[in-house]
Amino acid sequence: MLTIDALSKSFDKGKNYALDNVTFNLKAGDVCAIVGESGSGKTTLVRLIAGLERPDNGSILLDDKVIASVNKFVQPEKRKIGLVFQEYALFPHLTIFDNILYGISKLKNKKVRAQDMLDLVGLSGMEKRYPHQLSGGQQQRVALARALAPEPSLLILDEPFSNLDAMLRTQLRNEVFEIIKKTEVTVLFVTHDTQDALSVADEILILQKGKVVQKDAAANLYVKPNNLYVASLFGSTIHINKNIQNAFQCPLKETCCHAIRNEKIKVNPSSNNFDCEYITTAEVIKKIELGDSVQLLLKLESGEQLTVMTQATNIEDVIHIGFNSKDILEFNEDAV
Amino acid sequence: MKQDGNNSNPFSLKTRLQRLKRDSNRWSVLTLTIVIFLALPIIFIGVELFSGPGETWSHIVTYLLPEYIWNSLYLVLFCSILVLLLGVSSAWLVSRFDFLFRKQMEWLLILPLAIPSYIVGYAYAGIFDYGGSLDLLLRQLNLDFIRIDIMNRAGLAFVLSISLFPYVYVSARAFFLNQANNLLEASKVLGVGERKTFFRLMLPLARPAIVAGLVLVLMEVLNDYGAASYYGVNTFTTGIFRSWFSLEEPETAVYLSALLIVIVFALILFEKWQVRKLKFTSSKTNSKQMQRKTPKRSVQWLLFSIVFLPVLLGFLLPVGQLLYWAFLTASTVFDMQFLMISLQSFGIAISSAVLTVFFALLLIYFSKWSNIRSIKNIARIGVLGYAIPGAVIAIGIMIPTLALDKWLIGVLGNFGIDSGLIINGTLMVLLYAYAVRFLAVAYNPIESTALKVDNSIPDSSKVLGVGNLKTFFKIEFPLIKTGVFSAVILVFIDVMKELPLTLILKPYHIDTLAVKAFEYASDEMVMEAAIPSLFIIFTAMIPVIFLNKLLIKK
Repeated sequence: MLTIDALSKSFDKGKNYALDNVTFNLKAGDVCAIVGESGSGKTTLVRLIAGLERPDNGSILLDDKVIASVNKFVQPEKRKIGLVFQEYALFPHLTIFDNILYGISKLKNKKVRAQDMLDLVGLSGMEKRYPHQLSGGQQQRVALARALAPEPSLLILDEPFSNLDAMLRTQLRNEVFEIIKKTEVTVLFVTHDTQDALSVADEILILQKGKVVQKDAAANLYVKPNNLYVASLFGSTIHINKNIQNAFQCPLKETCCHAIRNEKIKVNPSSNNFDCEYITTAEVIKKIELGDSVQLLLKLESGEQLTVMTQATNIEDVIHIGFNSKDILEFNEDAV
Repeated sequence: MKQDGNNSNPFSLKTRLQRLKRDSNRWSVLTLTIVIFLALPIIFIGVELFSGPGETWSHIVTYLLPEYIWNSLYLVLFCSILVLLLGVSSAWLVSRFDFLFRKQMEWLLILPLAIPSYIVGYAYAGIFDYGGSLDLLLRQLNLDFIRIDIMNRAGLAFVLSISLFPYVYVSARAFFLNQANNLLEASKVLGVGERKTFFRLMLPLARPAIVAGLVLVLMEVLNDYGAASYYGVNTFTTGIFRSWFSLEEPETAVYLSALLIVIVFALILFEKWQVRKLKFTSSKTNSKQMQRKTPKRSVQWLLFSIVFLPVLLGFLLPVGQLLYWAFLTASTVFDMQFLMISLQSFGIAISSAVLTVFFALLLIYFSKWSNIRSIKNIARIGVLGYAIPGAVIAIGIMIPTLALDKWLIGVLGNFGIDSGLIINGTLMVLLYAYAVRFLAVAYNPIESTALKVDNSIPDSSKVLGVGNLKTFFKIEFPLIKTGVFSAVILVFIDVMKELPLTLILKPYHIDTLAVKAFEYASDEMVMEAAIPSLFIIFTAMIPVIFLNKLLIKK
């Protein structure tokens, strides 16, 4: 239903690209998360789709109709896309009810529809309140109701949970997607938090410096990341460089780049019966007790430092660490 | 399915042109039209330069121009020094120390802005005149051998400085109060003394703010006509008037105007350069305001008197003198005609304030809705009128409207219609001139309140299917109302006070209070000028106090 083709956008006349030749498409009913570090172009991408920015090149098609290209541009108000802003952007001088009514004023049964929306997000009874009288989570739900009221074919959520603390975040995320599932709308969802993405998205699109580096099902991204950046997004990862290869005595293909997740590095506190393919000794520089586990900062003989986690308690000054070949991630050198 | 141009360079000329076609809309065209419409007076001055100087130009260059330049330079220098001394010292003292009546002083220091400088000039002329207030006082004290003549260049510089220093005071104080606190704390923790902190830290840091205020003062100095002509000092502005009214040589007025524009732009460039060079202050306002020190009682009295002096000289003395005159002349000045003039003045000020704010809103929002980035920068050109002296704008309007009228008279004459002047000397032209001159006064407060509305608010309205205009009326306007309101008030005050532009462009049968005061003063009836002057001052005072409240809230 949504096709993005070779989309580019620069804010400084081509010196740097916020988005560089981005191509992907979205099936109706999908929930797709866009993940990337800040500055990777996530927000620019959704603003282009919503019509709040204009592309420098490439095109955007919604339901097979071009809505933006170098020579065509459909105004945002004609696109019928729902957008929930990071800061919610509720109209401060209008009541909750009027906020929701705002986008459906031409509808015949607009009041019924608005009331239904309020019920859907569980805020009936709050109609007469103003945005500043609501909590962050409630404002979030009003923004969602307002965006869903005109029955958009595509709903975009721009960092919807980033203003909330961790506890509230998980709870609200589940609530929001519970609501979204009831409407069967196609969802594009921007986040820098992989937990958010993994828990609700069918598919995840990874952006790095304005380029799409991977688009895949959630499960695949963890096991088969396309590059080190993608791997690190889903848990801290160590690049196995020449020094580390030598330390562990694991010869690897020169043409490829390899990495290992920190959590796959095993720790043997007592130096006997260690069943790892590649083993080395390391000096413990620092121990940080984290309650149920211990984080160790280690130094290899070559001088490399790395961090590992262990449940073991009797840590000596020099320990053995190791990993297995099945846990090694391999990607093309040029994809780093 | 590939769109054409997909793999080509997005910044090749072809795709650029394609995008320009895609992005240009009626808002871009309207923005350009408004900017050109507002820039017409300047454009005409530029065009008129090509028709050559008038007959007396060479005479003026030889005999008068050196005097104009020398006097203007003298005023600029003298006023800069005095205004900086008064403005910066009072701003620093009220921001850094707590002393007797400090709160009252803080807003009293702004009040001189309510008095147009030519009126301060009349009052001081009366105070220092032979048989004036000071003379009478000195005679009582048997000191009447002391005579101070202020009807000269130095006197004019004093009058202008004492009435304009609040521009520097306001911008310097805003900086000290809102931006300087954590630097001051850092300096204190480092054990640096009060004096060194001020000279080594605060003064250099406040320079962009101070320069911004100073440039406003100098623009007003160059704009002044009323005080300079009353004090008999020949400046560019009085030169423009002389060549227009006495010599009846528009070409010469145009040439002088063009020179004056060059000087003003040099000032603006100086400001931009200063501000750019010194942009190390954070744009964010520190949430914590500066902590004030409370010195000993005796020191408090000293500080109070330092700060009280400019208030006394810039406001209390002139107003006292005017009140005294008003008391003497009340019976002769108050009549139906005076009432009519007051009403006309109010009416003109209110309608031009509304018109100017309307133009400012059009420019701000049309350029926002235009999707071409350069259009947004072009919109700011429309604001430059504030830098151009009123007399110059008036000349730039007078010449084309007269020419147009001449042409119309000719055309209509062919049909046997004796039309007379149709455009020149109408109220519409005067209102247009005010809009050109004071657009910035409306533009800046509206723009700064508009910037406080996060873009996501109008954006979400658009995504919800509502177009630009409707979004403006339903969402943006309700949120920027206060900015719009204060813009109306600010333009209203400026129009009430305006003299040179009004003198040249006002319709024959219409008078304003400012014009009336000027006419009394030039007809050797300066005492009678007191009542219209006080009317202007009191109408301007209420909003000045109101705006100070806004400033403190910020």
